[in-house]
Amino acid sequence: MLPLRETQRAFAEAIVEGKYHAATVAMAADGGALRSVALYRRLIRNNYRQALMITYPVLLRFVGGRYFDILARGYLTAHPSISGDLFFYGQSLPTFFDKVQVAPLLVELARLEWACHEVYQAANSPPLSQDQLQALASGDPSQVTFHVHPASRLLSFPVPVHRVWQTLQPDASADVVVELPLPEEETGVVVTRGDGKVRVTPLAMADYLLLKAMARGVDAVSVERMAIESEPDFDFARFMTTVLSLHVIAGLSVEQGV
Amino acid sequence: MSVHYPAPIPAQAGIGLRSHHFREILDTPPSVAWMETHPENYFGGGGAPLRVLERIRSQYPLSFHGVGLSLGSTDPIDHAHLGKLKVLIDRFEPAFVSEHLSWSSVGGRSFNDLLPLPYTPESLDHICARIDEVQTVLMRPLLIENITRYLTWQDSTIPEGAFMAEAVKRTGCGILLDINNVYVNAVNFGLDPLDFLNAIPARAVQEMHLAGFDRFGRMLIDTHGQPVCQEVWGLYRWAIHHFGPRPTLIEWDTNLPPLAMLVEQATQSDAILKECHVAAS
Repeated sequence: MLPLRETQRAFAEAIVEGKYHAATVAMAADGGALRSVALYRRLIRNNYRQALMITYPVLLRFVGGRYFDILARGYLTAHPSISGDLFFYGQSLPTFFDKVQVAPLLVELARLEWACHEVYQAANSPPLSQDQLQALASGDPSQVTFHVHPASRLLSFPVPVHRVWQTLQPDASADVVVELPLPEEETGVVVTRGDGKVRVTPLAMADYLLLKAMARGVDAVSVERMAIESEPDFDFARFMTTVLSLHVIAGLSVEQGV
Repeated sequence: MSVHYPAPIPAQAGIGLRSHHFREILDTPPSVAWMETHPENYFGGGGAPLRVLERIRSQYPLSFHGVGLSLGSTDPIDHAHLGKLKVLIDRFEPAFVSEHLSWSSVGGRSFNDLLPLPYTPESLDHICARIDEVQTVLMRPLLIENITRYLTWQDSTIPEGAFMAEAVKRTGCGILLDINNVYVNAVNFGLDPLDFLNAIPARAVQEMHLAGFDRFGRMLIDTHGQPVCQEVWGLYRWAIHHFGPRPTLIEWDTNLPPLAMLVEQATQSDAILKECHVAAS
């Protein structure tokens, strides 16, 4: 009698590596062992594929089902699932794409879709309170740092890949066309959530870089200085209004007694 | 262990809550007694899914049906996963929390499917220790569900029904009895479904599941993607008369139909539950 752990390992070996011997020996000799393992392999692979399809609906529409399946099989081999929660299964798809050198546009699209996937369910955070805004207006701005909302992601791309994302939404008509190639144009986007829906908003590069600085914990005075250094007539009030309207900032910290 | 006993769900039919139906359920709340959901779908901590669940919870009793705990695995229990489950349970106070009598991970690799245990004394000791561990963390009894299986382990020496009954006896857990799974296993392996059902202690059965299957070659596969078949309705009627009326879920996860179809299946289930109430009175 195989110990339970050995039985589970033998089954895993059959599923992952196609080494059926140990697992089939542990199964009843009713002639169906090989068929059973093959069936489980198929069911399990389908679970992973379905998880990727849910996480990457735009990528699926972009490349089509057949190529998506090939990518999904390759991904499974390189990045097996390590969590009982399939929400995380596609986390390394952009890294995998990068490594196997698929078209760079697909890498960027996967990065954007993973960010959308995370933001959709990320933790809630209340909007900035009146008191916090007051602290920003009246306090010493060199002591103010910002907390980025957990349901927001800042990303930059060598091409405006968000246009593909916007065009190929799952509810778009079947005959929609994406104009390619995209122009070489470095683009920053912020992924946020509003009314339960994920939004992808392109940002001017200066805005994107300042938001990145804020996310890194750079204080308000330094952020403003960076802005003016990048563009002498930078409209900082306009920038802050944009940031607040996008709900990218969830809180402020004000250093005391420094 | 300090145990939390939640308010019971009525012995009526409920439906599975799927994001595909969120809008329709919120706009026109269906006439069903309760809803069940996979807690893993709400582990993110925010966003639309949690907001919808809050609204559903304000209108319906809830049951949580976990799929990711890998209860029978020989890897350590994933306490991060269990912690997220506990947070959700504390927040939504579901009437039932259930998991499967199965394993899905080993050596740190997860298969995200419900894999059968060999029914041996070692497995029994193991699953009972794991159920104890989970119940201690959650501070409430767990329901364990019988699964479909597409293989038979040679080493299995304990009949599945007796295995579950002994787990109930040792841990105080309850049973979520999936009638479709009993039927699928019986057909696939030429078993008498009543052998299994007669071994199940009636008092332990807290909830039942009904679902549909697909055919793959000679095997029936528990896809939860079809209406409940006539044979399963028949077995359900037998089970309700044998065990008594129990909260019954119409489970539908793939090939999702319009919400009205789920409600129609729930109405059929309610009719059978009512038959039993009438017969008993």
